[in-house]
Amino acid sequence: MEMCADCLISVQNLKKHFNHGEIKALDDVSVDIYKGDVMVVIGPSGSGKSTLLRSLNLTEEPTDGSIIFNGVDITKKKIRNSSGRVVKLNIDKHRQKMGMVFQHFNLFPHKTVLDNMILAPVKVKKMNKAEAKEKALALLKRVGLEDRADAYPIQLSGGQKQRVAIVRALMMEPEVMLFDEPTSALDPEMVGEVLSVMKELANTGMTMVVVTHEMGFAKEVGNRVLFMDEGKILEGGSPEDVFDHPQNARLQDFLSKVL
Amino acid sequence: MGNLITASGFEKAFQYAERFKEGLIVTVLLALFTVIFGFILGIILAIAKMSDFRPFRFLSVDRNGRLRGKGFLLTLSKINPIAFLASCYVEIIRSTPVLVQIMIIYFGLFNKHVIVLPKMMLFGFIRFERFVPGVVALSMNSAAYLCEIIRSGIQSIDGGQSEAARSLGLSKSKTMLHIILPQAVRNILPAIANEFVVIIKESAIAYTIGVPDIMAAVNDVRAATFTIMEPLLIATAIYFCLCFPTSKIIAYFERRMSRGNVR
Repeated sequence: MEMCADCLISVQNLKKHFNHGEIKALDDVSVDIYKGDVMVVIGPSGSGKSTLLRSLNLTEEPTDGSIIFNGVDITKKKIRNSSGRVVKLNIDKHRQKMGMVFQHFNLFPHKTVLDNMILAPVKVKKMNKAEAKEKALALLKRVGLEDRADAYPIQLSGGQKQRVAIVRALMMEPEVMLFDEPTSALDPEMVGEVLSVMKELANTGMTMVVVTHEMGFAKEVGNRVLFMDEGKILEGGSPEDVFDHPQNARLQDFLSKVL
Repeated sequence: MGNLITASGFEKAFQYAERFKEGLIVTVLLALFTVIFGFILGIILAIAKMSDFRPFRFLSVDRNGRLRGKGFLLTLSKINPIAFLASCYVEIIRSTPVLVQIMIIYFGLFNKHVIVLPKMMLFGFIRFERFVPGVVALSMNSAAYLCEIIRSGIQSIDGGQSEAARSLGLSKSKTMLHIILPQAVRNILPAIANEFVVIIKESAIAYTIGVPDIMAAVNDVRAATFTIMEPLLIATAIYFCLCFPTSKIIAYFERRMSRGNVR
């Protein structure tokens, strides 16, 4: 297993099978993600792009292959720690460093916006409650929602919900943000506000992996674009390469339909 | 037959009004304690039934490290003894009469060989050593029903909730405690309140082991005055006045809550 030294995440020969291998959602996928990358994954529905993203923090458990995050293979149940002892891998520790944003927001409906945000820092990182609130309010201000801190998710619009979901993930100060079709469930007029928050986040140097159908965003904000189909990465490169000079026939076909 | 129910019979029965009042308090306390302990035990049972404890899990992988497609070893790897025991408990309780269960608990558990309770009176009229076995037996019974209510409540919570919580680094148990259970409990509150009404009615069986509830009051009056229909009708009225408004109030809140969810 060769290691990629300056990778944040290195995905190696990842496979995800359903029905004992009848369906191959991921078919031997390998990709390296570097610090500061904004990697956009595109492809038709059912191509495995969401499965790949969800595998990165083991929301989806891969059948085979490895995901090396900060030098640790998080697909292993047991690892050797720094002093050489075999210990149980605590996936929760690694997940804290990977923020995730979902298509359907998944805000906690029984908690206010503020409580949604401070829950994990307070309960997991043992952050002081007052400190967490202060931090949450600062983040809400950044996305223009400081006046909705005490609202419940049901009182927010879709775009507002997704912006809250993004800052909720940022509360844990993740090293990478994973976006799973963050604008697909939004009304068209709300897509812009979410994308602009994501763009601003990319400008701060955050490492991001984004599964999306927003080709404009991929072109403008992404520094790398992957095209997936049938569980395989068929083409990858800079946005110019992928959008302006596509090599793969299926990518050309896909782009002709979506652009 | 003409004198089965008489005014003088009611007069006699009403002389025992104090006894009925005590019976009413016992019945309400019995139902309250039962629903509380039954709920706690029900949560434990529900979590046990949904647990992922599989001691033979390693058998699901073959020599080459691949998941087996089928076979005996795969079946063996799926065995979850905790869930199995919890299911057995629930099914046995649900398939046997509560009268039998209460007798087994009282004579089998709270006898002089196993658990001896101190003889004392609560509020001056509740016999502690009879009341506790009643609560235990009824709690164990309603826990089986509440377990299924709780389980369906937990499973009705969208999987995205737990995915989001886990993605923030919350452990499985913290996710359950802070995210899933609060939402599940709110959803199943009407069902639990209905179970409370059911327990009020079922608790009448506790008089068979000497818990001084409403039915015990009926029995006392019968023994003392040789009237039966009159005290029974009084008991009927008390039970009705207890259960009917309660279920109506629950229905009202259920309607209001479901209206809130539509938004």
